[in-house]
Amino acid sequence: MNGPILEVEGLQKSFGALKATDEVTLDLRPGEIHALIGPNGAGKSTLIKLITGEIAADAGRIRFEGQAIDTVDAAGRARLGLARSFQVSQLVPDFTALENVMLAVQGASGESFRFLRPALADPALTEPAAFHLAHAGLSGRERVAAAALSHGERRRLEIAMALAMRPRAFLLDEPMAGMGADGARDLTALLSDLRTEAPILLVEHDMDAVFALADRVSVLVYGRVIATGSVAEIRADPEVRRSYLGEEA
Amino acid sequence: MNRAAIIDAGLFAALVAVALVAQAAGEPFVITLATKAAIFALAGVGLNLVLGYGGLVSFGHAAFFGIGGYVAGILASHAMSGAPVATFPFTMQGTNEMLAIWPMAMAVAGLVALAIGALSLRTSGVYFIMVTLAFAQMLYYFAISWPAYGGEDGLSFYVRNTFPGLNTFDPIQFFAIVAVLLGLALGLSALIVRSRFGLALRAARAAPGRAVAVGIRPFGIRLTAFVISGMITGLAGALYADLNRFVSPAMLSWHMSGEIMVFVILGGVGRLAGPLAGAGAYILLEHLLGGVSEYWQALLGLLLLVIVLFAPGGIVGMLNGGRGR
Ligand SMILES: Nc1ncnc2c1ncn2[C@@H]1O[C@H](COP(=O)(O)OP(=O)(O)OP(=O)(O)O)[C@@H](O)[C@H]1O
Ligand SMILES: [Mg+2]
Repeated sequence: MNGPILEVEGLQKSFGALKATDEVTLDLRPGEIHALIGPNGAGKSTLIKLITGEIAADAGRIRFEGQAIDTVDAAGRARLGLARSFQVSQLVPDFTALENVMLAVQGASGESFRFLRPALADPALTEPAAFHLAHAGLSGRERVAAAALSHGERRRLEIAMALAMRPRAFLLDEPMAGMGADGARDLTALLSDLRTEAPILLVEHDMDAVFALADRVSVLVYGRVIATGSVAEIRADPEVRRSYLGEEA
Repeated sequence: MNRAAIIDAGLFAALVAVALVAQAAGEPFVITLATKAAIFALAGVGLNLVLGYGGLVSFGHAAFFGIGGYVAGILASHAMSGAPVATFPFTMQGTNEMLAIWPMAMAVAGLVALAIGALSLRTSGVYFIMVTLAFAQMLYYFAISWPAYGGEDGLSFYVRNTFPGLNTFDPIQFFAIVAVLLGLALGLSALIVRSRFGLALRAARAAPGRAVAVGIRPFGIRLTAFVISGMITGLAGALYADLNRFVSPAMLSWHMSGEIMVFVILGGVGRLAGPLAGAGAYILLEHLLGGVSEYWQALLGLLLLVIVLFAPGGIVGMLNGGRGR
């Protein structure tokens, strides 16, 4: 398929008087990393939640692989191939790293109503889970409870779980949040490879990572996309410099 | 076997040992106490599935316990009188065969659990507690005001139901039946908890947002667990009716829901043999202290408070040295 994998059109969401998402239109194309940047509270996480179906939009349309998914619930969208990671890690704390990824494999398979066979004795779960853990750089940590992992490892586990969905698109909400410089560099390399598996809509505050990774960048301010373009275009855009990059310089 | 599994097996062995020693010593009353503990444990195994692993605080499990009891009582009383239970849409006779009563008790409890669960699982937290309580109380008042089966006075059926090849009147033989069913239920829940379904159920408790994000709908998972849970507790109710040869609205009352919850909390929420330890301790306390003072339940309350505050893993958690499940 040559058209966009994900198309968002005229999306709106208000929380009371606050317009968190204001007529947002953007798309995600095969093979790309599309970075979504913007100041705190701009509505980036809200946009991700609207796309995943965690919250319902007030207006607008979402198409995924050419199909309208507005009436599909969040679990259904996940099974269609929309995999997300969370800004604040959402793991099952008393599951091991392996079990967390197994859960993702299981969810994507749609086969949760099996009652007797131990999940840990099911190679259809354990093998892909171990593979995706290793891919995310967590070999050797399979049997550690998620609650006992370091912050950086938990961020990697988030990625492993998204990978385990074998998704058609990744929605990654600040995957590097709270990571040190080394961790961020390693993760940047990992994400760069990931785009060959499926395109990534990447929310990220780490500008080094964004400028290194992004094929396109959209800038969100007060719920509105004020610019979309290549890294060079965005860096040169006067309005972006004023309203977002400027505050960093 | 890991330590948790050894504790589970040890608790079960202790229950069986109590009954066998009592048999050798010629103490049928103690066997009956062990049987009662095993039945309460079975009811708790049902509740533990949703409360312990699904994080769903059902305050209405007496509904399933009582329904199991009434199914057993109604079928048995019709078997005795010879009048059919129903003539429409088809004629249904009573029975005093346990092997016919159990599936019926479980089916009816399961159906009611499906209805109660489908409505109550749309709520969460304290609302869920209240809605499950409300449904159980509705059934309680219905039983009280239904004269056909004894109303407030309950329903006696004099003769214990039968099991092929066994004399169910012999306390140790009836205990054996109950112990085998408890063992099967414990084994089944051990399997369920570790299965794909169990993974989804536990994830839906600890991280519901994550479950949804990987494509798992918590509602269907929880509802299924609720139905299985109701069926197990319903079976316990049928056995309890048989133990006493009597069923009354008390089996449906919120006191009973509370007691089943106490077995689970006392023994260890989300621990496989927690309900067994809890029910055992409850029966022991009731027997030892109940004779001393009418207010033994106040002591029980104190004990419960201590457990909740200082040992949230309950008795099994303490035996396990506070280690993981
Ligand atoms: N459920 C909600 N109810 C009310 N207001 C909300 C809700 N969720 C988000 N908001 C508000 O919507 C705005 C956008 O929030 P959002 O989390 O999408 O921002 P963000 O761009 O992800 O910010 P950050 O960079 O800090 O993660 C904020 O003002 C936030 O307070
Ligand atoms: Mg955010």
